[in-house]
Amino acid sequence: MTHTFRELVIGGVLVAPLIWYAVAALVVVLVLRPILNLVGFSRIFSNPSIAELSLYVTVLGLLVLLF
Amino acid sequence: MTVIDRGAFRPWGFPLASWAFAIRIWIAAVVAVYLSFWLELEAPSSAILTVAILAEPTRGQALEKAAFRLVATGIGVAASIIITGIFSQTRDLLLIAFAIWLGLCVYVSGLLDGNRAYAAVLSGYTVAFLAVGQIDNPAHVFESSMARGAAIVIGVLSVTIINDLLSAPDRHPRLAAQLDEIHRRIRDCAKQTIFGEIIKPVTYAALIAEIVALRPEIASLTVESSSGPARGAAAQNAATALVAQLHALRALGALPPIAEATTRENILRVLEAADDHGPSAPQAAGLLAAQGDTNGMVATSTWTFRELMRRDQQVRENLAALRGDRHPPWRWRTLRHRSHLTSAESGVRAAIWFGLAEAFLAYAGWSAASGSLSLVGVVIGLGAVTPNPRATTALALVTAPIAGALAGIIEFFVLDGVSDFPLLAIALAPLIVGAALVMTSANRAVSVVARLSLIFAVSIFAPTNPQTYNAQSYLYSSLFVCIAIALLLCAQLLVPPVSGLRRRRRLVASAQSELAQAPLWDRRHRPEEEMFRDAIRIGEIISAGGGVTSNTGTVEEALSHFDQTSAIRLCIDKLKAIANGPSDTDVRAALISRDPLTLLNAARTLRAASVDNPALGDLSATLVVLSLFIEAARARPQNIREAA
Repeated sequence: MTHTFRELVIGGVLVAPLIWYAVAALVVVLVLRPILNLVGFSRIFSNPSIAELSLYVTVLGLLVLLF
Repeated sequence: MTVIDRGAFRPWGFPLASWAFAIRIWIAAVVAVYLSFWLELEAPSSAILTVAILAEPTRGQALEKAAFRLVATGIGVAASIIITGIFSQTRDLLLIAFAIWLGLCVYVSGLLDGNRAYAAVLSGYTVAFLAVGQIDNPAHVFESSMARGAAIVIGVLSVTIINDLLSAPDRHPRLAAQLDEIHRRIRDCAKQTIFGEIIKPVTYAALIAEIVALRPEIASLTVESSSGPARGAAAQNAATALVAQLHALRALGALPPIAEATTRENILRVLEAADDHGPSAPQAAGLLAAQGDTNGMVATSTWTFRELMRRDQQVRENLAALRGDRHPPWRWRTLRHRSHLTSAESGVRAAIWFGLAEAFLAYAGWSAASGSLSLVGVVIGLGAVTPNPRATTALALVTAPIAGALAGIIEFFVLDGVSDFPLLAIALAPLIVGAALVMTSANRAVSVVARLSLIFAVSIFAPTNPQTYNAQSYLYSSLFVCIAIALLLCAQLLVPPVSGLRRRRRLVASAQSELAQAPLWDRRHRPEEEMFRDAIRIGEIISAGGGVTSNTGTVEEALSHFDQTSAIRLCIDKLKAIANGPSDTDVRAALISRDPLTLLNAARTLRAASVDNPALGDLSATLVVLSLFIEAARARPQNIREAA
């Protein structure tokens, strides 16, 4: 089964669908931030910045897979 | 920018942290260029330029700048399309519209600070890049906007990912250390004041300037990580509490010194004990009260010392919250003083400079003049976020030939016709690593020259796939960079920027008018937040005068207004807390009259009634402090005229 992507056209310019996913993943991660702070996400990992980047990549991957 | 550890390993005189920063920027630049080539973007030079602009030593600062760069580019693209759409058939009107837009953006940037101000000017010079750059081909504005936007996104992603993967340092540990150091110095001043030494106004002003200079960096904590908002709130509170502590210290300094040596020693011991065991204000209050109170000054000293210790505790609590990634129990906002008149004047002047450059270049009729005009917009924008735009232009004029030479050496001596990407990456290393290293220098002028050299050199070199190695195009680019900046400097000599003296006068006048309007019974903000805003004004006065010591009279005047206005606000706050208390009308009348004797009488009445209600005692002491501040201000000569 092939995954179909909705096309994003701005003023006649075709933009890669990944842009939508990247923006949506950013919004999801931003919404998750207060919860991450509440559970002490930055204290769990030795390198919190890589952990947050990995979380972003995971959310992005899930969005691409599911939608 | 970086913490310099004496005795540590320092290759070529730069600490390892600076080397790590420089290498991160080089890797990010190479990744950005590679991705732009791979994606066949139209403007790969915008990607590497973005990396050069986002070259900040900490993750939070780079991320915040990146976010503002994306937003501002979006606004600039929209403005370019609208302006070009409306005026594409009338070239003169189009150029006037660009000048007005740039002026508007410079005005907005004057009301903001840090990366927000940068975003405002970026919205302005994005128009210069996109619409002015495409002035002969308006139909191409949208496509070039998309190409520039895509390249900027690539640049932002490269910097962000490289900073994350290579563990770029966070700003908050160093910020906490800086706030801690300021706190320690304020406590030292407090100890000196207790011993009756007089602290010079320049010392207070220097401390205030250091605190408020941290405001833009505190704002960048929010984006640093998921704990960023908590840390940002704690740092804002700590900075505000430090300013409030300074105000309490000024109040302590205005009071008569403690006469008894034993009491002084004991109070000092209490203050030092607070370092380890928290505040012991009640103990100190007891010690002071033991001296016996005849004229209310001891009660006022007690209250002032308690206030100092309360602020000390607030600083301590918020620094602990900053270090422990916890939300502070309350939230103060670090308000910013906004000078609309000065910002508007700067905006008008920016529009005039751009207009003059436009007129000259249009009259000259050179074929590549649009590129030059774009650069005029960029330098106007970059200068607008510094205290002295003309000095920035002069620095840019010094930098432009250096950058041109560096770009020429890379293009025609180092690479000289090669087309392999690895060779391009290696050739870029000395330029980017060298410039980034020098950027970390403590000398601000050297750091600015290094940053501008990197930005100009990268934009002149403009990597493309394949590289053209066109000597004529290189010479034109270099020449027009120099012409643009020289032209702008001429325009700025003809119509000078708003002078430091004028800005200082306006700032002091605004402090005077605020004091004249006091007391304002219904205020939107907490007294501490407004204290911070007044402190920002003092910081602006210092930066407009070129330093703390160069305009002592104006600084003293501003400090005196800060003391009085803040004390009035504290009185109003305490008066509200004991609504409909005894002598309510008398206190209000005394505050309106701002007469020291009337204030002291109102304070005496309140003190008599304070046996059952300690809040009345607090208000009484605040009124005495206010009366002392007013007396001190009346005794001091009016320095504003001297400064003028």
